[in-house]
Amino acid sequence: MSLVYAKNDWYAIAAADEMTLGQQRQTLLLGTPLTVTATDEGVVVRDDQGKTYPYQIKFDHVWTALGDAPRALFDIPEGDEPGRRCVPCGVVRVKCSPLRAVENFLDIAHFPFVHTDILGAEPHTEVEPYKVEIREEQDEVWATKVRFFQPKAAKSAGSGITTEYEYRVPAPTVAVLYKTCPPKPEAQDVIAIFVQPRGEEECDVWPWMALYDDESSFEELVQFQQEIFLQDRSILENQLPHRLPLDPKMEIPTRADMTSVAYRRWLKKRGALYGAMTEVA
Amino acid sequence: MPTEPIGLSRDLPAKRVMRTMVDGQDIAVWRSASGKIAAWANRCPHRGMRLSHGFVRGENLACLYHGWHYGAHGRCTYIPAHPELEPPATIMAQAFSVEERDGLIWVASDGTAEPRGLPGGLAPLRSLTFQTAKSEASEAFSSTPFEGNPPAVQSSDAGGIVLRVDVDSRTLNIAAALHEANQGETTAHLLVSDEATPAQKVSLSRWCEAVRRRAEAHVTTRGQENAA
Ligand code: FES
Ligand SMILES: [Fe+2]
Repeated sequence: MSLVYAKNDWYAIAAADEMTLGQQRQTLLLGTPLTVTATDEGVVVRDDQGKTYPYQIKFDHVWTALGDAPRALFDIPEGDEPGRRCVPCGVVRVKCSPLRAVENFLDIAHFPFVHTDILGAEPHTEVEPYKVEIREEQDEVWATKVRFFQPKAAKSAGSGITTEYEYRVPAPTVAVLYKTCPPKPEAQDVIAIFVQPRGEEECDVWPWMALYDDESSFEELVQFQQEIFLQDRSILENQLPHRLPLDPKMEIPTRADMTSVAYRRWLKKRGALYGAMTEVA
Repeated sequence: MPTEPIGLSRDLPAKRVMRTMVDGQDIAVWRSASGKIAAWANRCPHRGMRLSHGFVRGENLACLYHGWHYGAHGRCTYIPAHPELEPPATIMAQAFSVEERDGLIWVASDGTAEPRGLPGGLAPLRSLTFQTAKSEASEAFSSTPFEGNPPAVQSSDAGGIVLRVDVDSRTLNIAAALHEANQGETTAHLLVSDEATPAQKVSLSRWCEAVRRRAEAHVTTRGQENAA
């Protein structure tokens, strides 16, 4: 059942700029091997039986859906704002549930311990109360008024600042964050992860950014994000059980975990259970 | 219930954490700054992070993910995201029984740890991992000649084997405490009579490598026979 639900969402499966004419990429989506080919008529997404699937190019990635009635792909309107640089940051393979990867992205309490001296540092570990809601009209999870002290919040940040965040979950395997942008305090940087579930316990994570940062080079920006993601990977591959437990008895949240609690409830309510476990192990 | 020798005490100094498997259970074993040892389920109650990746702060083990601290009996003592909060007493890492005796660390997957009796006067030599089952490792210890002579087996059981060898007109005891952490992967924790000279320790250590080659070769040959 969880597979049927998951098949009707769209997933990033390739970086658009790598799919130049004649390029081919083998990949795995929800356990199905796929071949993505760039032809002169566009991209072709095909499985081993020769069945083809729809595609669209959005946020610098190629997206596909395996089901017969895919839900609409969400939008990130900030990506179209003039003056922003959209930066696809490559791909990171992680041996974990796609849902654990998203939940980790929504979490700030780990910054001082996992991204030490970059996104956080002791003794600045406190997570102040913030606001979490399910926005019913879009059916999305939102966390707002999230504040955290960071020694070096972004490539463009010189010294420590208190950063303000907003988080948004527009689909079960996608998370978007908006954060104070050091060179342009009235605007916000946008960083997203598009998680491609290869299976229930393995995923490819495609980070993507839409920033106001004219100074850093493309390579520097990508490298900054990659470094952060490799730190996250060392956590994600060591969480037990590997699947995200939705039974509240399995793991103990605190107030700092309100986003995770809302995310888990939202998944359960939708039946988005691919990569989750619903019973106590 | 199984009590397994999971390591040499001297290889787990203060403020260090290690990971082991006992009876299929993933376990973190760590030693506090003051020297107290503890063995806990390798899973942080918060978000399931393996505690073996954590770090020791004084008498607490801190989880790498969000820095929650766990102290005596596995009780959560500090949650960095909420520094003012007294953590509820219900937040506990699951503790296993652990004992140190004869220079070895013994962990029970259930109930109270019951280390096996070993002859007195032994000192740690080294640990060595074999890509074989425990029985094959044990067999190789008794059948690999040391300086031309097969060792005399003093005792042998599921936990390991005690041997006697004659070197330079001296008789030395060797104990190999065996722990099959994963199926087909056995670590031998070796102890030798403390009167062994440094040179004798070196030759015994080489002999252990010969034991390993023999055990692993045996497994390979048998594998080929099975395949044929
Ligand atoms: S998972 Fe251990 S502190 Fe969060
Ligand atoms: Fe992170």
